Amino acid sequence: MRRRNGWLLCLGLAIAAMGGCREQPPDRWDAAQEASSQSPEAVSSEAVEGGEFNRFFPQVETPWDIVFKQEKTGFAQASLQFEAREVAVLSVSDTKSNPAAAEKFKDSQRNLEGMPVVEIGEQATAILVNDRFQVQVRSMDPVVGPQERDEWLTRFNLQAIGRIQ
Amino acid sequence: MSKPIHKVVDDLPDSNMTVRLLQALDWVVPGQWKNVVGFENTIKAVTGESDQKFIQQAGERAIALYNDKSQGYQRALWLYQTVDVVQGVAGFTAFLAKVGESISFLSFLDKLTPKADKTQAIDLGLKVVSEIACFCQINGLPGDSVGDFVESLADYKHEALMRMAALVCVDGLIPLGPDFIDKGLSLLDKAGVSELEKNSRFNQIKGYIPGKNTAEQLNFMQRGLTSVKDWSRSFVASRSLSVEKIVGSLRGRIQGVESHLDYLGAFLDMGVNYFEHTGTQSIARSLIARAAAEI
Repeated sequence: MRRRNGWLLCLGLAIAAMGGCREQPPDRWDAAQEASSQSPEAVSSEAVEGGEFNRFFPQVETPWDIVFKQEKTGFAQASLQFEAREVAVLSVSDTKSNPAAAEKFKDSQRNLEGMPVVEIGEQATAILVNDRFQVQVRSMDPVVGPQERDEWLTRFNLQAIGRIQ
Repeated sequence: MSKPIHKVVDDLPDSNMTVRLLQALDWVVPGQWKNVVGFENTIKAVTGESDQKFIQQAGERAIALYNDKSQGYQRALWLYQTVDVVQGVAGFTAFLAKVGESISFLSFLDKLTPKADKTQAIDLGLKVVSEIACFCQINGLPGDSVGDFVESLADYKHEALMRMAALVCVDGLIPLGPDFIDKGLSLLDKAGVSELEKNSRFNQIKGYIPGKNTAEQLNFMQRGLTSVKDWSRSFVASRSLSVEKIVGSLRGRIQGVESHLDYLGAFLDMGVNYFEHTGTQSIARSLIARAAAEI
């Protein structure tokens, strides 16, 4: 009797252990991880070099400063600083690398300089130039609110960005 | 496929010796470093957004960018991870050398192992070079000139600034003393760079610095190193940093500090991986900032 109980106990533990080895539930990032593992190219070969955008960022003077932070294929980003404190992040990206980014502008409710504008999340505003280049201002400090974001968008040389091939 | 970036960031420890070390050094760069761990937390911290739909989109774009090897993020992570492994070895070697110096019958060790100072100096040099290489892999060459690049390097904030502060304190001042800039970083002067070129690790890293040829790579690195040297001098002076102040702040916070004062630099080398920890956070920050701008 005792030997059988011992076997049953072992069997029970083994079943419990196998239950514990069941696959973890999928996490929210698994699908994206899987999709990009299958096709890892995230940047289009047609995207322009980020360096093409730099000279079209806003021109500023002390106490403002623009400090370039990133420059990759199809992307350039700078920190907008007031008295050495970051107040916003400015960026230009080529939507050839992420066409869905251009799609969202179809629902735009307003324009600036004739180009569609959308809010992104709570902290950013973006404009689509020539149906291709997304220019974005993201607030990093309360001094740059939605109205200021619009102003900074227009301080890019949007016409010149639109002429990039 | 390498470990997914969201798992790498999720697995960052919220408390260990490295974290305690960096917290103990908060006074050097007050409030700059909050140990943000977890992929979702990092997205929230970098973007200021809390909407789950936005977080999902930004996270997915970040994952896609990371998985594209051509974008350099995986290379940067590898560099940050392996420089700390090298550090561990160098630390151990330096540790042995120090032990050899202080106990005469072990003095033969001194002949087998490189002088601790030189090891530490080379190590400091490798870390600085790695940092510049990682910066270029992660962020490209921001701006239109080396001047812009240097400005960007000098504008470090958050975990990147904490990494540099720890570099100055833990890899500069503690092992090499107040002359670390001359002892250590001077290795990286023109003459010194040719010394480093004999180092195989350096040659691995050099390949990750932009430039059409070796001369361009070295020139670029030179400009970066000069910037780091100038920055370090000003950093130490403006904060009146000293070995005593730094060791004092570690006492009671890091176990073992008291018993390893003579070779504290080497001891810390073996137990901490602040370069990898904050380097991972820097990669995540740049990646997510880009992803948020591209969605």
